[in-house]
Amino acid sequence: MIALVRMRLAAFLRSGRALAPVITALVVLGIIHGGGRSAAAPAYGYSAVMLFPVLAWQAKLLLDGEPDVQRRLARLTIGARREAVAGLLAATVLAVVFCAVAMLVPWWPLHAIRGPEPGSVEPSLAAGIVLGVLAHLLAVPAAVALGALASRAVTRTVRNGLTVLVTGSVLVIVLGLSSSVAPWLVPPVMATARALSADQLPAAGTLWLLIGWTTLWCAAAFGGYGRLRRSRS
Amino acid sequence: MRFDQVWFRYARRAQWTLRTVDATVEPGATVVVLGRNGAGKSTLLQLAAGVLRPVLGAVRDRPPIVGWVPERFPADQAFTAGQYLTRMAALRGLRGSAQAEHWIERLGLAEHCHTRLADLSKGTAQKVGLAQALLVTPGLLVLDEPWEGLDSVARTLIPHIVGEVTAAGGAVLVSDHRGEIAGLPDAIHWTVADGEVHTGAQPETDEVVVEVAVRRTAADATVARLRAEGHRILTVRAPGGPWPGRAEPQDAEDSTRAADAAGDGVTR
Repeated sequence: MIALVRMRLAAFLRSGRALAPVITALVVLGIIHGGGRSAAAPAYGYSAVMLFPVLAWQAKLLLDGEPDVQRRLARLTIGARREAVAGLLAATVLAVVFCAVAMLVPWWPLHAIRGPEPGSVEPSLAAGIVLGVLAHLLAVPAAVALGALASRAVTRTVRNGLTVLVTGSVLVIVLGLSSSVAPWLVPPVMATARALSADQLPAAGTLWLLIGWTTLWCAAAFGGYGRLRRSRS
Repeated sequence: MRFDQVWFRYARRAQWTLRTVDATVEPGATVVVLGRNGAGKSTLLQLAAGVLRPVLGAVRDRPPIVGWVPERFPADQAFTAGQYLTRMAALRGLRGSAQAEHWIERLGLAEHCHTRLADLSKGTAQKVGLAQALLVTPGLLVLDEPWEGLDSVARTLIPHIVGEVTAAGGAVLVSDHRGEIAGLPDAIHWTVADGEVHTGAQPETDEVVVEVAVRRTAADATVARLRAEGHRILTVRAPGGPWPGRAEPQDAEDSTRAADAAGDGVTR
């Protein structure tokens, strides 16, 4: 399975498909962090929100980069389940690296992160960075799940794939608003950003709730993906 | 391997492509699947390989290692031929590139080893497709029109490869609409027609395909002489395509082959 993960990552990076999400992410990060210096936690919280659709798009591009017949060959070679998991793993590895770079960008070249204001109850710089890592780690599996559900192996056509990707990304924002009637329908990307932009360190219970919520949502999404892949070659 | 009352269609409201397929492939057997374009040969082969899942029924006792040569090799990939085969070998759990290099040598791919898949000719890409299926000796080898685009040297290799797989106890399913089956004299014939698979047809063991290059000026006379001797003329072709107005094929099936043929001035 690791051989297939490496093969898919190599194929994606060698093709020109990798470039578009990178350029888009750089533009997005420039907009988020270009307006002035900010505390680490809220800056990273909102960067995770803005990167979510880009990560989902990137996952879809990676999974769609392989011709259908080659995907079937891989499936025959290592088995259907491992072929599907290998695709998700490749997309996750890529997304984690992507997020790591995205977290460095506000330090260099943008110099957009500052420490807590003297006398405030803002989280320390180290705590802000840890919370930022958490926000991105919560966004990665959810974005990969959305990208996988929008991939050609599931949606079969470009139109359907784009519809799933765009609708999913919009719903994550809209249903994630604090006034949403059904926030549990989407992963808590917006809720995480809100928790990180509070004046003080979020309570441990809040963080565990966000982790549990993401885990359940991703389990349902990946379960659906696996089920759809079983019925579609 | 056994097709157990297999039904298949591509969409819920579509017509059945295959109905009530009930057939067995014994280890060591070669099965040639015949049928017109669109009859369902590729569908049957993909069901056998496990690429497609039956809508009803099941394919049972499929060997664990399946080699599948698709009708069209997926050449739109960012690898060279050598890189691709090495990576496919890694997928098969093979360490190093020894097996990949073996098949690169055997199929005459050495000079294309560093060529990107997308830049390969159709026949060379088909050889890469053949090589990836043989990196590990398969228990079931499924060849979907394997002769398509191959040169004459590579075409003659296929019966040898099929023989090696069956000698090792593997089964081979191969589809053919170009009359190349004469190279597989011990093959069992299945015919796909009207969504049904008819098994048990006996193979013709007394014919082989011989390609002969002759001078243009001698083509008509050679064709006439061969016909007079009772041979079937499948195709007469010249560089760049069929030879219009010369040595018309003997039946409609042959016309298809004549239209497909391309290459040097060759009488078959």
